Amino acid sequence: MSNNSIKWFFGTFFGSVFNSIVTVLSALIFLFLINNIIGFISTAEWEVVTVNRRLLLIGRMPAEHEWRIWSILWITSFLIFSSINSWGSPSKRNLLFISFITLIICLIFTTSSTILYVVISLVICIVSYTVSYFIYKSSYQKYSQNSLKTLWILLLPIIFTLLLIGDGPSPNLWGGFLLNIILASIAISFGFPVGIMFALGRASSLPAIKIICTVYIETIRGAPLVAWLLLAWFVLPKFLPTFWGLNEISVVIRAMIILSAFTSAYTAEVIRGGLQSIPKGQIEAADSLNLNYRTKISLIILPQAIRVVIPALISTFIGVFKDTSLVFILALTDLLQVGRIIPEQDPEFFGKALEALCIVAFLFWIVSISLSNLSTKVEKSLGIGSR
Amino acid sequence: MNLFVNKLYIWSRSQKNRNLFIQFIFIIFVSFFIYYLISKALLLDMTLSHFDSRAGFGISHTFVIDYTSNDSRWVSYFTGVINTIRVCIVAIFFATLLGTIMGVARLSKNILFSTISYLYVEILRNTPLLIQIIFWQIIFLKLPRISEALTFGNTVVISNRGILLPSASPSDNGNIWITIIIITVILSLIVSYIINKKEDLEGKSIKLFNFKFNGNLLSILLFLTITITTYFILQKPFNLDLPSLYQNNKGTFLQSGGFEFTPEFGAILFALVMYTGTFITEIVRGSIQSLSKGQTEAAQALGLSDYQTMTLIVLPQALRSIIPPLTNQYLNLTKNSSLSVVIAYPELFMISRTIMNNAGRALPVFFLILITYLLLSLVISIFMNVINRRVTRIGT
Repeated sequence: MSNNSIKWFFGTFFGSVFNSIVTVLSALIFLFLINNIIGFISTAEWEVVTVNRRLLLIGRMPAEHEWRIWSILWITSFLIFSSINSWGSPSKRNLLFISFITLIICLIFTTSSTILYVVISLVICIVSYTVSYFIYKSSYQKYSQNSLKTLWILLLPIIFTLLLIGDGPSPNLWGGFLLNIILASIAISFGFPVGIMFALGRASSLPAIKIICTVYIETIRGAPLVAWLLLAWFVLPKFLPTFWGLNEISVVIRAMIILSAFTSAYTAEVIRGGLQSIPKGQIEAADSLNLNYRTKISLIILPQAIRVVIPALISTFIGVFKDTSLVFILALTDLLQVGRIIPEQDPEFFGKALEALCIVAFLFWIVSISLSNLSTKVEKSLGIGSR
Repeated sequence: MNLFVNKLYIWSRSQKNRNLFIQFIFIIFVSFFIYYLISKALLLDMTLSHFDSRAGFGISHTFVIDYTSNDSRWVSYFTGVINTIRVCIVAIFFATLLGTIMGVARLSKNILFSTISYLYVEILRNTPLLIQIIFWQIIFLKLPRISEALTFGNTVVISNRGILLPSASPSDNGNIWITIIIITVILSLIVSYIINKKEDLEGKSIKLFNFKFNGNLLSILLFLTITITTYFILQKPFNLDLPSLYQNNKGTFLQSGGFEFTPEFGAILFALVMYTGTFITEIVRGSIQSLSKGQTEAAQALGLSDYQTMTLIVLPQALRSIIPPLTNQYLNLTKNSSLSVVIAYPELFMISRTIMNNAGRALPVFFLILITYLLLSLVISIFMNVINRRVTRIGT
């Protein structure tokens, strides 16, 4: 070791008395954590997860409907992997991260009976990735970007058609991680546009509209989500009209309604922050060009407002995704519930609660961390903070 | 007829009139919707009369209110409210502490320290709070059973039924002493205010025997002398309450005395502190980073140490941009405390759920929950606004 690196070492770790104390304390915390984690991993038995993998992922969905899940997985992986390259090549670090996530997802799904499906999805991933790379270099770049945008918008309808077409399983059979993802995507895709509307309403100069939107947002934000879900469990059916069997809607739909309303209120608050950050000159410029309200909002104000709040928006969406684990109030068996029930009720797996919980937390963590990674990427490509 | 159309056209050309028209239509739609909701709500029983009858269920954690299952539902509800307030106050305090330390750590030059903060934020912020609550509960239940409880010389007893700590219980004179303390606190606050004001106006501080006294020091000295002398005058207003562990004649273990830190309370407290701490960490980090670098450099040029730079220069300035988002996190924490329903810590949401299950009439109870949370949020907001006003006034 050269003299310089010794100097650096002592400078960073033992530069002052305070710094030395901090170093020793952090080293102790690290040792404690590593010791406990190694102790846990060496004694843990992961059978509780490997045996119940199906239940954790898709709940009680019957085996004859499995092809729906696989085709959804294929379409989504095609879309994701062709989108990676269609707006510029990813950095090496992002590529590493993406391959890491893909590998983990493949490992999660692989069993002796499903290996064929996993291989097909891997092939789809690689093919769409390489093809989109060449399209991006060619003159068809614009067309592929536009068609991908359309496909992303159509993704949710496609998924629901695939889930429900031809005697699909009833929503009550959705469960496990599938339920979390469905609830989150519904909540976000309905809550976001509604949230924009409420944000505009709250920022409006018309007092009646402003007051009503504010009351809506503050009421929804006033009570915790569990309380709203409990309300959906007890009284929501009594408030729905009696025709078309609307008053006997399934619990999953009720959860979707509440989660969407909840997301819309929180998104509205985030977007309001963006609306406030727009310099007044922009609005005055739009007015002096004699743009009408709709053009002014859709071409001048919203694009700038949303651009500023993308990080906050995505962290709200991550929050919604995490909050889907609260549907235990409605007696739905989402991923966390399955992970809790199995060690409690199956005598084979008594006392394995920590192992199951670890995997559940890991799955939630993977999705959230991918989303926050996406947010930093979008933030960078839009040049927020540097402009 | 043509004249009317013409007039209508002219009326509609005015922006003011058009705005009125839009609002009118909007209000009509909304009032139809509200009318529909009210007409449906009137079919339900909207009174809270069932809150006057006997509750009939026990509550494992009572604080201040001595609740028994024979009390009315109102009493049980307020026991829950107090439990919520208790866990929120403790959690807000520790989450702020943890978040500030970790936020500073994130920017530290010490790699070990900043890595801990990085891992802490990235792992705990991206997993649901519910999972963390259940995790801490499992950890607390993995402590040794009560028959093999860890005891530290009759002062601390640790078992999976909870952690018993020594506490103090007031004797006959205890209440008098507590009132004296409260009066002294108010008195010393007034004294420090008056002296500081005088100092500001006259530019001189009070000198006694060549020793400068500023208002804060004087009021602390006043407080300490009064409380300590009255403590000895009243002759032990408090008794030390030590926890004890014993077996009854059937051989079962029982614990008594001391302050009981139950697994449920511990789990919800740890989870709330750790989870909210991650968000506070990010807020603190962002605020420190947004400060201009000249501040730190100026502090270093004056020869302040790292610790002094942080506590005297950086944090007081960063506090201005920290407080508004911090208030938001406190409100979130308060609402998130309702998740303790999953581990049966009896706070207001869990007790209202029990009442709904027992007696139905969910809608009025829900409005009660809504109002309670709104009131709690209001109290926090007002409190934080007062602090915010004080903080932003410095140096302006």
